[in-house]
Amino acid sequence: MIELTSLRKEYGDLVAVDGVEFAAQAGEIFGLLGPNGAGKSTTIGCISGLLQPTAGRVRVLGHDIVADAVAAKQLLGIVPQELALYEDLSARENLAYWGGAYGLRGAELRGRVDTVLETIGLLDRAKEPVKKYSGGMKRRLNFGCGVIHEPKVLLLDEPTVGVDPQSRVRLLDLVRAQAESGTCVLYTTHYMEEAQDLCDRLAIMDNGKIIALGTLEELRGELDERDLLRLTGTFDAQRTRAALAGVDEAEVVHVDETSLMISMPDAWSKLPAVFGALAAADADVRATTMTQPSLETLFIKLTGRELRE
Amino acid sequence: MGFFLSTALKDVRRRLADPIALALWIGIPALIGGLMSLAMGGDGGTPKARVLLVDQDDTFLSGLLASGGGPLAEFIEVETVGLEEGRERIDDGDGTALLILPAGFVEAVLKEEPATLQLVVNPSQRILPSIVQQFLEALVDGTFYLQRLLGEQLRELAEGPLDGASFFGDAKLAELSMSINQRMKSLESTLFPPVIKLEEVLDDPPEEQESFNFALLMLPGIIFMSLLFVAQGVSEDVWQEKNMGTLRRMISTPQSVAAFLAGKVAAGSLIALAVSAMGIGVAMTMHEVPFVLIPVMLLWCTFFGAAAVIFFTLIQVLASNERGGNVLTMVVLFPLMMIGGCFFPFEAMPNWMASVGKWTPNGLAVLRLKDLLNGQFSAAALGSAVLGIGLPAALAFLLAVRRLRGSFVIA
Ligand SMILES: Nc1ncnc2c1ncn2[C@@H]1O[C@H](COP(=O)(O)OP(=O)(O)O)[C@@H](O)[C@H]1O
Ligand SMILES: [Mg+2]
Repeated sequence: MIELTSLRKEYGDLVAVDGVEFAAQAGEIFGLLGPNGAGKSTTIGCISGLLQPTAGRVRVLGHDIVADAVAAKQLLGIVPQELALYEDLSARENLAYWGGAYGLRGAELRGRVDTVLETIGLLDRAKEPVKKYSGGMKRRLNFGCGVIHEPKVLLLDEPTVGVDPQSRVRLLDLVRAQAESGTCVLYTTHYMEEAQDLCDRLAIMDNGKIIALGTLEELRGELDERDLLRLTGTFDAQRTRAALAGVDEAEVVHVDETSLMISMPDAWSKLPAVFGALAAADADVRATTMTQPSLETLFIKLTGRELRE
Repeated sequence: MGFFLSTALKDVRRRLADPIALALWIGIPALIGGLMSLAMGGDGGTPKARVLLVDQDDTFLSGLLASGGGPLAEFIEVETVGLEEGRERIDDGDGTALLILPAGFVEAVLKEEPATLQLVVNPSQRILPSIVQQFLEALVDGTFYLQRLLGEQLRELAEGPLDGASFFGDAKLAELSMSINQRMKSLESTLFPPVIKLEEVLDDPPEEQESFNFALLMLPGIIFMSLLFVAQGVSEDVWQEKNMGTLRRMISTPQSVAAFLAGKVAAGSLIALAVSAMGIGVAMTMHEVPFVLIPVMLLWCTFFGAAAVIFFTLIQVLASNERGGNVLTMVVLFPLMMIGGCFFPFEAMPNWMASVGKWTPNGLAVLRLKDLLNGQFSAAALGSAVLGIGLPAALAFLLAVRRLRGSFVIA
């Protein structure tokens, strides 16, 4: 359905997207997970034809987004990160305008507008200007405008940022319903839980590159069932590394003067050995948390950084 | 085509959502026109500025000035008064301005000596006094050139016949008029065409007289001032589209940015049409507007409005942020209105300014509308004006489209 090959986008010296490759299929929710600035929006921008890729290709059902833009764009639906609505117009007028932009006319357009209004739960307030809506209602309308023409591929860029929990649940249900009806959904987020709950397959992105890709199970497998131990206090990086080298299967993911992260299987049973080694290295431990394998620990293992920095 | 229309309709709907702002825009010509009428103490008809003249010079030439006339005869009424009376009346708010011609003024001018005119304006009238002031500056300018060019001959005339004779001899007169004639001839090819123009206006009052009526003098400028304001306001909408994210969404649809921008310009043109209709409606209450030419006037004004929307939109999309765009459009807007016959009619401008201003887009528009209001329809003049404004507008449109789908939307 959608295929990216060695996609690259530069802004001057900055490489925002660096050789990204993946393909997503019909009926699948493909997640793009990464911290702010990872290059998710830039990737979506290249796919949607808003940005000109520096190199590489994007194909939507075989149509190149640059060379065959009109055909490719016709198949795409977009739910942008920021709202993209006419505040002075009503929900109905917004939907009709964007539906018209995808070539819907007359009775067909009216039918689609009604269907979408019902799906997003705005039928009873369809005639009010958007500026009177709550944030959650605007988000749902923003979603509705992206699916008005029943796109084959739906791009969602962090649609739940700044949305209250109730609206978020509703929005995620709408996304699932799209995939169930056969749409190929590309979903970007920096919320690990969301990616875990929603996506069939995932690419983890950092600094413009994809650093891991697969189903949730495959990605968890990369962690070898390792737990993540996070400690804060005072550490001497060199002596700490040396001391922990003696602890069985302990892998130092990150260490600086105030924090330490260790990845190891069955961490619970090895805690005494870890503390013993740290004491020998004159480290002063103030707090410890242990996390079981998750996308978050995978991200930390791969990058040495927290996802939400 | 479908998308062009739906975009225009969408923008019209958005404008209608704020009917007060829209009404204000459409009301601008009536508003400014009304304010001016009020400022002139409007008794309906043709409001006049009343200049109280104190002639302490009492020469033949100052008497000519005092008798009024000139290109603004219909517009500025000159009344000769004594100094005391003049001061009293201006203090009472009776009259627009008090002009004092000091003794020896004409002589000083003719001898190229420094001369001072005193103008006391009525503080309760806001617009007219500045028009009088502008007009006077133009007059002083003209006098300056006139005396530079014909000073010698004029001096001889002013000094009167030599050796006590009460009249110039025939030979002397013939000689004088010969040399004046020669001067005028040689002038036709000199550096001062505006001066000659002024002469022609002065020489030929009957034809011009008709046209110096308030509707014709001020209203075309007011109409195009309103259109420029509206176009500037409409052009800000590209920032709205950008800030609302709708421009990004538009670019990700299969539609062309050109159709989108054309739709927006069309919606702006509808407002321009409404403004023009209002302006010409106001003109009809003041002046007998030739009926058959009304559609041409509306088309012309709307065409200008559309072009102005495009020019301002280009400036907006070239700016790096919204504030910059607005400042930049204003920086273009005000000088254009100032010299393009929108604040002050060309008739009240210094010659150099008028001759430059007539080549600004709005100056051109004002002149052509005046022709039409006068019942003069020239397909050639209008056609070349359409090309002169239309071709740059088409170019500006293409540039704006490129910029809209390029760095403007991304930055
Ligand atoms: N228009 C732009 N000009 C220059 N740099 C940009 C632009 N847009 C994004 N960037 C940079 O590209 C990188 C990726 O940004 P983005 O794709 O928005 O990340 P994400 O959506 O994952 O938060 C960031 O470093 C960002 O600062
Ligand atoms: Mg983003």
